[in-house]
Amino acid sequence: MAAQLNLDALRDEIDKIDEVIVRLLDSRARCAFSVGRLKHQLGRPIYEPAREAAVIAHVRQVNERLGGPLDGDAVARLYERIMDEARRIQRLEAERDAREQKEGKE
Amino acid sequence: MVVVMKERASDTEVEAVIASLVEMGMDVHRSTGASRIVLGVVGGGKVDPRLIELMAGVHEVLRITQPYKLASRTFKPDDTIITIGDLRIGGDEVIVIAGPCSAESEEQVHATAAAVKRAGAKVLRGGAFKPRSSPYSFQGMGEAGLQLLRAGANAHDLKLVTEVMDASQIEVIGRYADIYQVGARNMQNFTLLRELGRTRKPILLKRGIAATMEEWLLSAEYILAGGNTDVILCERGIRTFETFTRNTLDLSAIPIIKELSHLPIFVDPSHGMGRRDKVAPMARAAVAAGADGLIIEVHNDPDHAMSDGAQSMFPSQFDRLMAELRIIAPAIGRSICLEPVARRGWAR
Repeated sequence: MAAQLNLDALRDEIDKIDEVIVRLLDSRARCAFSVGRLKHQLGRPIYEPAREAAVIAHVRQVNERLGGPLDGDAVARLYERIMDEARRIQRLEAERDAREQKEGKE
Repeated sequence: MVVVMKERASDTEVEAVIASLVEMGMDVHRSTGASRIVLGVVGGGKVDPRLIELMAGVHEVLRITQPYKLASRTFKPDDTIITIGDLRIGGDEVIVIAGPCSAESEEQVHATAAAVKRAGAKVLRGGAFKPRSSPYSFQGMGEAGLQLLRAGANAHDLKLVTEVMDASQIEVIGRYADIYQVGARNMQNFTLLRELGRTRKPILLKRGIAATMEEWLLSAEYILAGGNTDVILCERGIRTFETFTRNTLDLSAIPIIKELSHLPIFVDPSHGMGRRDKVAPMARAAVAAGADGLIIEVHNDPDHAMSDGAQSMFPSQFDRLMAELRIIAPAIGRSICLEPVARRGWAR
């Protein structure tokens, strides 16, 4: 009975954390979107491997200080997913831009 | 598409692959495993897998979508059922097509049609224009042969399938036949396939002598893309190193095609084996493996046939085969020749 109550409490906790994570992902995605626009203005490619490597190195470092159950590789894998999506956001925006420019010309 | 990188691929190599995929408008999902990096590639861009395969550090590129669309099970999950009058091809009933290799004479066509009808065949086969390996072999009777075949089919309430070798024959054959057959040698005659796509009669498309399943389905795609949705695939043996049989009958095509495509699949054990004594076992195996139908060469007098005599069954052999198939089909939930068939002792 007590175990059941603990389980429910922990699941509530996870739900609350998820809300925070999604809000943070949303903020991150908005930043990535703006980065995409600036890259476009500066004529830089969407995929910048050096920057992605720096992001992963940074989050590995942050994670190491926390010393929790997630190891560095696990955090790197999660960030690969996050950056996959960021690239996608930038690609969609670039395609929209290109379409509008083309239509504008015609 | 999935790109598997080599175990020792460097970061620069991985980055170059991602960069070119992104440039092609694809979304890349990078997964770093313990020893390898795998890139999942999705999106609407156009990528030639071979170009990626050639890049440094790439181990292999796996395509996960098929190049054929209309012929694929993904496009149409339900089996295609082709209706010709009261005949349903691709349903529960296994349909048997039988008859001579070529139309030779009125007597031969009628005797053979009567025999196959009595045994339970639903469709008469027979050639009027014959694609022979040698230009000196019997080339068929032409339109006169078509007339004989149609009369034979009508007299015994059978449908008729005959081979079309060239787009110029579509019109004349269309006047007589219910189903056009495209032979193995013409499986990749794309101009013919395109023309047949414009017709509205079912097409029995034989597998090419050295065709992969994918090439075969792409040929079907040509017909389907023209708006003709009634394509029957027919396995007839492929060329292998074995010389005992004429071809190696690839029965594995049945379950594979059933998975990849919604189109009905038939088997031609006569051409697959090239010897009449080996036709019945393969016909039984084909039905057991789930074929939607068979096409079998039967001749009223095989020893005097003008073509393919050695692989044509005697009517008595065909009669016995049909009796055996009637026992096999229900074991896998199929039926064969529903109406009662008059039994009689055959002369030979």
